[in-house]
Amino acid sequence: MSIVDNVLSQQFQALVLKELLEVWRDRRALMIALGFTLLFPAIMIGSGALSFKVVSETNLNIAIVGSDYAPLLENQLHGTGFRIDLLREGIPRELLEDKYDAVLQIGKEFETDYRNLLSPKVYLYVDGSSKSGGRGIQLIQERLGTLQKTIMQQRLSARGIAPQVLTPWQLQIRDVSTPSSRGLAILGIMVPVLLIMALMVCSAAPSIDTSAGERERMSIETLLQQPLNGWQIIVAKVLAVTSIGWFGSLLSLAVLTLSFTLLPLAEIGVQFSAGIAELVAMSFLLLPLALLVAVLQILLALRSQSFKDAQIQLSILQGLPVALLMIVNLSDIKLDSPAWQLTPLIGQQQWLSLLMAGEAIPVPLALAGSLVTLSLVGLCILVGARALSRESLLGAT
Amino acid sequence: MIRVNSVSKQFSGTPVLKNLNFSIADGQITALLGANGAGKTTCLRIITGLLKADSGHAYVGGLEVSKYPKEIRRQLGVVGDREGLYERLTVAEYLSFFASAQGLAGDKLEFALQSVREELELSSLWNRRTKGFSQGERMKVSLARALVHRPSHLILDEPTRGLDVLAARLLRRTLLNLRSEGTAILFSSHIMAEVVELSDTVLIMANGTIVDSGTPGELNTRSGSNSLEDSFVKLAYGQRAGKRQQGEVA
Amino acid sequence: MVWMRRLYFGCLVMGFFIAHGAMAAEGNGGADDCYLDGWQYSLQCSRITVGKGDTQVKLAVMVSPALDESGEEPLYLLAGGPGQAASDLAILLNKFRKINQTRAIVLVDRRGAGLSRPFSCGIDRNTPNELEVISKSLADCYLQQTTFANSLSSRQTIEDLELVRKHFGHEKISLWGGSWGTRTALLYQQWYPDSLTALVLDAVAPIDTKVFLGASAAEHALQTLVRDCQSDLACSRFGDWRGELEQLLINWDDSAAKKFPDPVTGRISEQPMSLWALQSMIRAALYSPEASAQLPFAITEAGSGNYLPLAGIAGFFSDTTTGMSLGLTFSVACSEELHRISEEEVAADIAGAFIGRAFLEFFSRGCDVWPVPKRPYSKPEPRHHPVLLISGEADPITPPIYAQKDLDYLSNKQHLIVMGGGHINSIRGCIPDLIDKFLTSPEVKLDQACVKDIHRPPFMIGAYGPELDRRGGSDSKGMEQGGSGSD
Repeated sequence: MSIVDNVLSQQFQALVLKELLEVWRDRRALMIALGFTLLFPAIMIGSGALSFKVVSETNLNIAIVGSDYAPLLENQLHGTGFRIDLLREGIPRELLEDKYDAVLQIGKEFETDYRNLLSPKVYLYVDGSSKSGGRGIQLIQERLGTLQKTIMQQRLSARGIAPQVLTPWQLQIRDVSTPSSRGLAILGIMVPVLLIMALMVCSAAPSIDTSAGERERMSIETLLQQPLNGWQIIVAKVLAVTSIGWFGSLLSLAVLTLSFTLLPLAEIGVQFSAGIAELVAMSFLLLPLALLVAVLQILLALRSQSFKDAQIQLSILQGLPVALLMIVNLSDIKLDSPAWQLTPLIGQQQWLSLLMAGEAIPVPLALAGSLVTLSLVGLCILVGARALSRESLLGAT
Repeated sequence: MIRVNSVSKQFSGTPVLKNLNFSIADGQITALLGANGAGKTTCLRIITGLLKADSGHAYVGGLEVSKYPKEIRRQLGVVGDREGLYERLTVAEYLSFFASAQGLAGDKLEFALQSVREELELSSLWNRRTKGFSQGERMKVSLARALVHRPSHLILDEPTRGLDVLAARLLRRTLLNLRSEGTAILFSSHIMAEVVELSDTVLIMANGTIVDSGTPGELNTRSGSNSLEDSFVKLAYGQRAGKRQQGEVA
Repeated sequence: MVWMRRLYFGCLVMGFFIAHGAMAAEGNGGADDCYLDGWQYSLQCSRITVGKGDTQVKLAVMVSPALDESGEEPLYLLAGGPGQAASDLAILLNKFRKINQTRAIVLVDRRGAGLSRPFSCGIDRNTPNELEVISKSLADCYLQQTTFANSLSSRQTIEDLELVRKHFGHEKISLWGGSWGTRTALLYQQWYPDSLTALVLDAVAPIDTKVFLGASAAEHALQTLVRDCQSDLACSRFGDWRGELEQLLINWDDSAAKKFPDPVTGRISEQPMSLWALQSMIRAALYSPEASAQLPFAITEAGSGNYLPLAGIAGFFSDTTTGMSLGLTFSVACSEELHRISEEEVAADIAGAFIGRAFLEFFSRGCDVWPVPKRPYSKPEPRHHPVLLISGEADPITPPIYAQKDLDYLSNKQHLIVMGGGHINSIRGCIPDLIDKFLTSPEVKLDQACVKDIHRPPFMIGAYGPELDRRGGSDSKGMEQGGSGSD
């Protein structure tokens, strides 16, 4: 019988059906898949949106000590974003500990010095280790800076000087980025890693169950006693696990896509530009990787004596590819060479990044890279088939 | 017919089977009686092809197991020392899968399923997932799985373990039916009463080898005991005195 | 050379000086990436050929695409002048980001402006600030390009806009018009009501309003400044500076004109500051609240012989390229506005106004040498599009009263009035947000509360700048705690 016949055979179909039924009825695996794919992006996006909201909508508590000496400054700080208390006196350090994000201290000599153009000092106390402190500095500097510029201009004007005198040149910035390429910096790194993580997390439970689990329950013995080829068994298991892993990553993609429409991306000048075509392409590019992840996890779990053992081993190895991607992304390692796109994981990550940014991918390279991944899958299946004939696979007698 | 010919097997240097020889005739029930660790399961696994003998050969229906693994599996029905159930599948799905794996399809598949359903009284369990089944129910399903493709050889590893009365009776009845249909049945056990009641031939196994064989009566006679249990103890443990030669069943 | 730049005071008609000038689009042919000064990101620029022979123009169209392709109708920005270019409005994009998220923003340089065959007649900031000289240049220019000069009109601009709209396949569009751009928008609404979703009009020049009668509007802006100064504790100490201005203008003579310092070089100007230029400069200062805030101090100082602060205000405009193509300005102004102004109306307009004839004179003399055909408007017909009107209370050229009294034919309008605001308020305070909200749901009445948070900048009081304590005036915030942080 040729491989094709084998694949099409009723036997094999029954085998795949059995594995699919097992995997999709595994409530635990489904919970993990749904939990990860729904909760993780939700938490990420939620916290992102929340921090955005916090930054844009929460009021900073500002205390101005000695505001009587310079009401103009206080006036300038009024407005959205600040809740201002005016204090006659107070110790900045204590005020910061109390409830204030920033304390502006104006001395009583301020007015005299200001009128005499003596450039009095104003003190801004913040707690640099707190998030709001840093924002406080920035916002207060911004607002006071505007006032300072106005006063500066008035002073120059009073002396008959044109503002342009203080502007020897104008720097015009021309940013060649596009909204989608700016999105690439944010979405292009985060999303592929998240999708690959989803693949691995969602595949893990079913791969363990279908290999180490079957081993632990000793049903594998029964399975091996059937007139089936080893590779058929592995392929069926890989397909079943892939179905759930792929599903998980597609669900993640859907959830993320949906979430992006809820984020105020435009306010940071970022565009989420992946359309339906890009999303479909992403789905298909993920498939070979899903197969590879599934077969590797099954091989690994098959080695473990027990379910628990497999869980520990997999969870340790789970973080590795993600860590690798992060390191590659954060470091200055250049992955421009096309050879990198032939490397599983890195290739997929690059294509997903491009597609996420709504850009075109190098189709021949993507096809070649996917083929490399698929070949690896094939190799692993052969290895797995051999592993099934190992005697140590059976429980001790 | 099953034949085991000079089979030896070691696990990491420890000999488990030592030059094992016996054969099982069609239409007979043969019991493999032995203490825990005697090598019963290993012996059965070599016959089913899960393990490979270090030396010697096993034959099922005249085919050498290691040479024709797939063919002999079509002729074998096996109930292992665990039931090998898939708890997330219903009985129907479970049996259907194994029947298909054995190459049954279409009407033949339906017929095979109907047969075991009636034979093993599975109607009430048919569409239930096997999770939470009692030991007896599990055994019934497992037996049904082993029989669904109507194998000419049936191997059972400690089949009565944990069974309630009714289930044990059903098992016995089924085995006797199969025997009358000409199936060669080999089961391992250490429960004397069951062996006495069911088996045509008993193989007594100790330390990786068959120390004696014959009908229970013959064994009792040979060991000068009144019960199979006494015979077994004498044959299996008394053997160290070197009284007996290796058993062989013609 | 500085004196030459003062031309701007005179010809600042209906434009506004938010623009930094130099246009830098490089696009040509299909939609290419290009840049405009004031906006750091690239735009998609294309050229659309309009007109024939002598009057052929490759219209420059610049699009800032929407971030989300949610299919909202695009917003076209119409520049003022007439004579300013939409490409000079790129700086608005910084404040219109949110609007730009869901809708494309389209900038079309009308024929004769900006990048669309600018019709400047060689008059730029280096042209001497003398009506005679300008008038001569214009006369020559008209003779040389009579066909082109006669062809330019609002009607043509609107037909071109319609062409652009169809070219891009925009089913409906919304318009933002600033200053004279509001006139263009209102005319577009008359002629192509079906192409239009909504209008945002900042510094409104209604079709029936004779906006070139600008003297009383300028005086009104100055009076508003007087009022606000009086209610400011420190500023009120300047006393009757309006009266001092009157004296200054009456007494302005050659010796004063020749003493006027140059705000760029720090020396006495080579070119004397004519009365016309002085009046125009003060009028121009009223366009911007920042410059206005310096007027009471500068005029008081000038009254006691110190012209430096006044020169400083002049300095505000010294680096502003007009961006105004005067050929276009005169073609439109002479054919559509000047001819409908009667001498009686002028007399009534300039009565009691500090600017006197200075503003109008520039145009009437220009139109004398620019004999384009008259193009009267027909009576505006009722329209029901949602319209958002934005006015600065102290706008010296398009005061809120114009929008209030001459737009009765619009049935669906809202009016934002920025207290103390000058000319063009779209980028101040919460106005960009309100515009966005309006465009998103044009039928919903806007919550205008936040408009009150837009204030005049502090008045310049002394050499040190503004007073630290602004309390005491009506503008005071009082000592209540909490402030406006919690809205």
